[in-house]
Amino acid sequence: MTVLNERQQLSYIAAQAADARLNVELETEGMTLNIGPQHPATHGTLRIIARLDGEQVVWAEPVAGYMHRGYEKLTEVRTFPQVTALINRIDWLGSFANEVPFILAAEQLMEIEAPPRAQYIRTILFELSRIANVSLFLGDLGVQMGAITPVFMAFRDREYVLNLIEGATGGRFHPNFDRIGGLKDDLPKGWIAETKQVMKKLRTFCDEIEDLLFGNEIFQSRTRGVGIIPADVAKSYGMTGANLRASGVDWDLRRDQKNAMVWDQADFKVWTHPDGDSWARCWIRLQETREATKIVDQLIDNIPAGPVMTKVPRIIKVPAGEAWVSTENPLGEMGYYVVSKGDLGPFRVKIRSASFNNISITPWVLKGVYVPDIITILASLYFILGDIDR
Amino acid sequence: MPSKPKVPGLIKGLGVTMSTMFRTLKDGANTVQYPHEKETPPTRARGVIALHEDNCTACMLCSRSCPDWCIYIEGHKQLAPPRRAGGKPRQVNHLDRFDIDYALCMYCGICVDVCPFDALFWSPEYEYSEPRIADLLHDKTKLGEWMETVPEAPELEVGAQKK
Amino acid sequence: MGLVDRGRMPAPLTKLFNMGRSYSMWVYQWGLACCAIEMGAAFGSPRYDVMRLGVIPLPASPRQADLVVVSGTVTDKMAPAVKRLYEQMPEPKYVISMGSCANCGGPYWDSYSVTKGVDQIIPVDVYVPGCPPRPEALLEGIVLLQQRIKNEDMAAKWRNEEFTTLQKTAALEKAKSQPAPEPIVVGGGPIE
Repeated sequence: MTVLNERQQLSYIAAQAADARLNVELETEGMTLNIGPQHPATHGTLRIIARLDGEQVVWAEPVAGYMHRGYEKLTEVRTFPQVTALINRIDWLGSFANEVPFILAAEQLMEIEAPPRAQYIRTILFELSRIANVSLFLGDLGVQMGAITPVFMAFRDREYVLNLIEGATGGRFHPNFDRIGGLKDDLPKGWIAETKQVMKKLRTFCDEIEDLLFGNEIFQSRTRGVGIIPADVAKSYGMTGANLRASGVDWDLRRDQKNAMVWDQADFKVWTHPDGDSWARCWIRLQETREATKIVDQLIDNIPAGPVMTKVPRIIKVPAGEAWVSTENPLGEMGYYVVSKGDLGPFRVKIRSASFNNISITPWVLKGVYVPDIITILASLYFILGDIDR
Repeated sequence: MPSKPKVPGLIKGLGVTMSTMFRTLKDGANTVQYPHEKETPPTRARGVIALHEDNCTACMLCSRSCPDWCIYIEGHKQLAPPRRAGGKPRQVNHLDRFDIDYALCMYCGICVDVCPFDALFWSPEYEYSEPRIADLLHDKTKLGEWMETVPEAPELEVGAQKK
Repeated sequence: MGLVDRGRMPAPLTKLFNMGRSYSMWVYQWGLACCAIEMGAAFGSPRYDVMRLGVIPLPASPRQADLVVVSGTVTDKMAPAVKRLYEQMPEPKYVISMGSCANCGGPYWDSYSVTKGVDQIIPVDVYVPGCPPRPEALLEGIVLLQQRIKNEDMAAKWRNEEFTTLQKTAALEKAKSQPAPEPIVVGGGPIE
């Protein structure tokens, strides 16, 4: 090395330092991105912690519990009718669907069955709540990708369904219409004719959404091939419902399980999709809304005449025993494991809600995706906070 | 890879806007102009609970079956004049206090269901917000005022069996 | 606005300001539970369309909002976030508590993890009852709040006093400006 004079040495050091600084500036460094608990894209109070490398997610974890209300503990100090009123609020978009498995479990313990008319009306209201649930998803989907129009359309047509539910049950959101042994009341006059009209409107809404949103280039390029979940991974994480069917698993409790509901009287198709990406999950839900309108149309003409309530004692005491009943709810399989000791209320209720298992795949599926895709994947997984945290 | 659609999404969206505009011009808007015109909820809608005070016997069934314990009842026994001349005076329950705390109520309808004397009714009224939370506790005079808004029970659909 | 702080605004100008504030409330999108969907129906649905009332549901940040609708259950885990979001809002700010859960716990009155009423952590201006309230019920709450804002004495709000109407303040000041009446003395002179 040649001997440098003092000035040359100084300039050499300065050049070295500048190089080092440049290196430091260009070097990327991990960053932790906190989404939530209050964020418009998490529809509710879910918090997601994502560690990023540039734009890519290295590690992500959902933090549940911001909406935990202690349902399983609350059910222990309430009587059976009170529990029915309370569990409406687990999945607040499809409330009637929450009541049905619990009531079926209690009926199974009491060894009674609802009369056929009640079973028909139950199934119809179940499908209506599915439509009310999933139609909001279809509207909300656009908002997550920057399209605002679908949400207005969804709210417009969802109001018709809510009016139907309110006209029959009295509650827009929380019907509390199911009773052990049947239903609280019969349908009001003119309800059937109105339902048929609304089902027509909803099929038009599905066509509009399919044309406008699912046929949109931006929507397709943001969802196709994003967040792919293979069938075996989906099964191992315990995913159910449309998320599982979008991975190509043909599994639907409405068809595969016998219980005191009349889905077997209706002819409907269980849609599956081989891709398992975000687009498939959205598309499956769109098709399910269509199928639900068809089920309602088929069942509503064949409602048998008769009572809607079997003979049950005025003060209901469920005999000791254990029962597990699950149904195919709008979000997936929802089940109640009811343990009774012969008292007025259940001894213990274990609630299996669909969203909790569906959301548990987020660490797996968010690994390696880009930041904007977090939002679309979460939107397509479709969870409801009350259903996650209970 | 996304398939290229025949009509670009931009044009399609504008088409939807146009068709909605024409439909609105033809059929009128979907909007209910709330403070000026009010839509009537269905007759079964659970808006507010009305109390028919004469029917209430202060039996506490509603209060006990309420999941929220939001009904407060106080009563006392008193002697009423006999029904027939020369009979013994009857003992009746007199209602002193009947309050429902609407800040706590979960609108489940269990109290209306369990009432054996038809003293409680659902009214579809919904406009009773308050700036003070204590005003949401409706006493028996206020609950009695809601009785005017209670609609007739609707007729039932074809094939229904009367209870 | 130094004049507003000190309550030295001429009354007509105050009324104009109040009207301006009441018809341009930006409401923060803040969904918590079931009521959030009914709030969404009131704000986003074409049938209810809250923008007719001058309430604009666009800001997704509390720093641009004047009004917040606490829609749903506030759990103990969520309460610090609620408090922090409220503190980020600029003054003057208003809170509507929507639904039984936000009012005082509602169906979860005996739950171990639910805050029994959002008014334990932040001040609330209007309580809307219902579980969940219909969208029209929320609109009614908003109309009620607007009426309150129109008659509000801003100087009292800046002094962190409780809600006072303009009429009440005017009456108080009138009483102050008049000389105090002579005390009526009964009996003899002062007691030694």
